[in-house]
Amino acid sequence: MFYKFIQTIDRFRPFLKAKAHCDVPCGIYDPITAQINALTAVRMMDLMNGLAEGDEKSRVDFHNSISRYIAVKEEHAEKAKHEIRVIWGDFIKDAHVEKYPELPALVHKIMQFGSKSRQTADRDAGLAFVDAINQFAEIFWAIKDIKIKRAKAPYAPALEMVYPDL
Amino acid sequence: MLKIIKVTGNSLSPFFLPGDYVLVSSYRPGYKKLHAGTVVVFQHTEFGRLIKRVHTNFPGTENMKVAGSHANSISSHKLDLIPYADLIGKVIFHIKQPRTSD
Repeated sequence: MFYKFIQTIDRFRPFLKAKAHCDVPCGIYDPITAQINALTAVRMMDLMNGLAEGDEKSRVDFHNSISRYIAVKEEHAEKAKHEIRVIWGDFIKDAHVEKYPELPALVHKIMQFGSKSRQTADRDAGLAFVDAINQFAEIFWAIKDIKIKRAKAPYAPALEMVYPDL
Repeated sequence: MLKIIKVTGNSLSPFFLPGDYVLVSSYRPGYKKLHAGTVVVFQHTEFGRLIKRVHTNFPGTENMKVAGSHANSISSHKLDLIPYADLIGKVIFHIKQPRTSD
């Protein structure tokens, strides 16, 4: 309860942060976290659009649900961006960029689609966000020399995702 | 002075997890030395604002060694000695996020 209260204040007026970070690389990097977060943003867009098509827009419940969907969309789109930035900053090395010169533009694109997914409920922006992160995942697994497979996520919005084929 | 600071990173896990908050009491030079085990927030020239545990006070100086509790934490060797002057404060209260096992 108290945590929730502090967290709410933090959302509106962020507190300072202190890192308890791991410097010895733990080596645990996986774009799936970003992929799932981007997928969640699209799911929230779908829920918002579904609700907006209903007839109960004047009800308090409607506003409550929409507010919650927006909050989750914001949070998850930002988390997806964060996860990509971590892999970009901590895992990707110059040699990888030399081998995959499209990487910097791709990461930049992910940041932009992520922002658009936060700013709007534009499903196309959300789809582009997921797609760009899938492309990033494809390169990530190629760098690790791990085969990939494409399959639909086993939950709504059931978009095609890139998974390592282990 | 008291400050609320948000924890990021895993070096103090499982006690402090990313997303937890801590209430930090400012440390002023001249106060008595902090005990080993005290959790402190300080400014590091290379790594920025960090939260770690006091490991030992370095004899005869105003410096201390700090450590995390996670195996992959920045080693205290790499952090070198932390001058007391760089301390932002000590943690006096831990605001934990709900743990899944709770």
